[in-house]
Amino acid sequence: MRTAVAFCFVLCAAMPADAQENGDLDRIPQAVQNEPAEPAAPQSNAHGTYYAEDDFALSSARGDLAVAVPPPTSSDWSNRTSLDAFDQWTLSERLSFTFSDRFSLTEADGIGFPAEASRNALREAYFTWEPVTQTFVEFGRINLKNGIALGFNPTDFFKANTAVSQASADPSTLRSDRLGTLMLRMQTIWDGGSATFVYAPKIHTPRQIVGADPGWIDPSFDQTNTTDRFMLALNLEVADFSPQALIYHESGRTKAGLNLSYPIGQSVIAYGEWAGGNAPDLIAEAIAFGKATGTLPAVAPVVPPTSASRAFQNDLAVGASWTSEKKITLNLEYHFHQAGFTGADWRGWFDVGGANPALAPELWYVRGYASAQQQPMSRHQIFLRADWQDAFVTDLELSGIAFVNLTDGSGMMQVAANYNLSDAWSLGAYAGGTFGGRRSEWGSLPNASSAIFQVVRYF
Amino acid sequence: MNKLFIGFTLAALLVPAALAQPPAAQDIVAAADKTRNPGQPFRLTNTLVEYIGGQARDRVVLVVFAKEDKQTHQFSNLVRYVDPPRDLGKMVLMNGSNMWFYDPSSKVSVRISPQQRLMGQASDGDVVTANLAKDYTAKLIGEETLQDADRQNRDCWHLDLAAASDEAIYSRIEYWVEKGTFHPVKGKFYSDSGRLLKIAYYHKYVEQLGGMRPSETIIIDAVDQNLVTTMTNADMRPQDIPDAWFQREYLPRLKVE
Repeated sequence: MRTAVAFCFVLCAAMPADAQENGDLDRIPQAVQNEPAEPAAPQSNAHGTYYAEDDFALSSARGDLAVAVPPPTSSDWSNRTSLDAFDQWTLSERLSFTFSDRFSLTEADGIGFPAEASRNALREAYFTWEPVTQTFVEFGRINLKNGIALGFNPTDFFKANTAVSQASADPSTLRSDRLGTLMLRMQTIWDGGSATFVYAPKIHTPRQIVGADPGWIDPSFDQTNTTDRFMLALNLEVADFSPQALIYHESGRTKAGLNLSYPIGQSVIAYGEWAGGNAPDLIAEAIAFGKATGTLPAVAPVVPPTSASRAFQNDLAVGASWTSEKKITLNLEYHFHQAGFTGADWRGWFDVGGANPALAPELWYVRGYASAQQQPMSRHQIFLRADWQDAFVTDLELSGIAFVNLTDGSGMMQVAANYNLSDAWSLGAYAGGTFGGRRSEWGSLPNASSAIFQVVRYF
Repeated sequence: MNKLFIGFTLAALLVPAALAQPPAAQDIVAAADKTRNPGQPFRLTNTLVEYIGGQARDRVVLVVFAKEDKQTHQFSNLVRYVDPPRDLGKMVLMNGSNMWFYDPSSKVSVRISPQQRLMGQASDGDVVTANLAKDYTAKLIGEETLQDADRQNRDCWHLDLAAASDEAIYSRIEYWVEKGTFHPVKGKFYSDSGRLLKIAYYHKYVEQLGGMRPSETIIIDAVDQNLVTTMTNADMRPQDIPDAWFQREYLPRLKVE
């Protein structure tokens, strides 16, 4: 008996691993087996990204608004065709040039062709010189972005008046396509940190945020370079927090900022972003800008009523991302914008608009100003984002975002599906809408819902 | 004289016995690590092809800069996408728990978690450049004859690796290493929940940077039964890589000539 057991043991030990262990070999495609034994490196000379994009949009308007929107009424359909280019050229060992541009042609009711339909957005055009290894001097129009959060970036000091029309309302997408600022940027990077200095000069008086009609090829420096600005940023790799401290200054206003992030376990990244400095509140700032640019008459009242005094204003975004094994990532953020509307400000906005319709244009101007500044309208809001890569099938990405006003419970949401048909073609579909009561932030907007269909061809 | 004779006899008896013993499990894993990883900073071009249902669908070309961290002995990686055009210029920094994704279109670096690292194509680099001996405790399960990706029989040590540090990306790894050559043949990678995530076959060993190294790794997705990915390494060469490169602020600065 012992001999039989021993024989079996020896026999088993000499046998290959059980067939189950090699069963997975059957899943290896035949094409893989036929590949050459020693592959060569693939050739790729591409250094830029070029693509054409078409977005067809339908939207529905909300009736019976609490505060009427001044004309013109926006079209309930539009089609925008864009050519997009981003490229970099190495001019010498230590000198390079970066160029980023988007030309769009829009068709919609009420848009004259071609003068109003054509728009060119020169996003970036700048030289980079590396006089000393890991020290860089750059000059030109540069898209400089700071901030670790997704839905609101208090430290993104160069975001005001830079937005370019986009298919998606997702802040991640909005940040992808905006105008840079003419600036001189110097950065030095060492083992464990970096320091950056920025000077952006004033070269133009500010443009009106409504009613302006620049030429189609206008570089729009009257949006991006309307005051002298300075920024100093220090990045350190310390104890897994990756802190970034910033000091920003523009005509009579100085802000400090801080970015922190920290991994928790295998699936969570916690992050926080803060900026603070003396400033007027949103209403006072918007009315002052409207008067300075001639949009509002000098005698226009400050509505809704607010204090004209400056005070220390804090901006904060704190949140976390969580990723599942099934390639789903969720982000949840809380945003605090101290200069934004309080519940009392909203009540005042609706009361004034309801009692005196003649002031409606000025009331909507304040909201338009906040949108142009890419600031939240309200003091407290939450932001949610969900993203699912390879959802159901490979190359299909499903995503959704939502902003919710914590004071009145209103909000906006958007769901999106993007599918890569091939290396060259991508399809996208976006559907979104606003919800809330008639006297709420989002429920008072004229746009109720929208749907956008997108085709992209890469070259 | 007798003692000397007895000692000599014992030694003669014991040496073959010692030779028959397999090396310690941890030493096997360390030797296999050296097979996969050159002992110097390097760059290579990595081509990933995804097969869906047996048909090639997506092809991504990455340039990878890798350097062993002097303290953790893990590889820090900078990965830059060079193809397809829609992904051109995207970058991934993997430096211990300090991991960032940079998109040149948004100019923004987003911090990613180890779990997010497992999602993208660049994540499959884990099965290629990870120094497993550092972050895992190995146990020898036995000796088996296993077929490699080319269906050739290989006499292997079968090892079970359990995560032993916070830096370990996978909770558990089953690992088959060929006896004698210490060439990794196969790995099975498990998540925290014990779920089998991917199976890797290492093959097509060629001379690269002074050693025989696998030029192709076949990764069978254990979650998506239709998905198989091949990772092909080419143009592996030494590269002087300053430590300053492995931080997020350097991501927009990396040039690929």
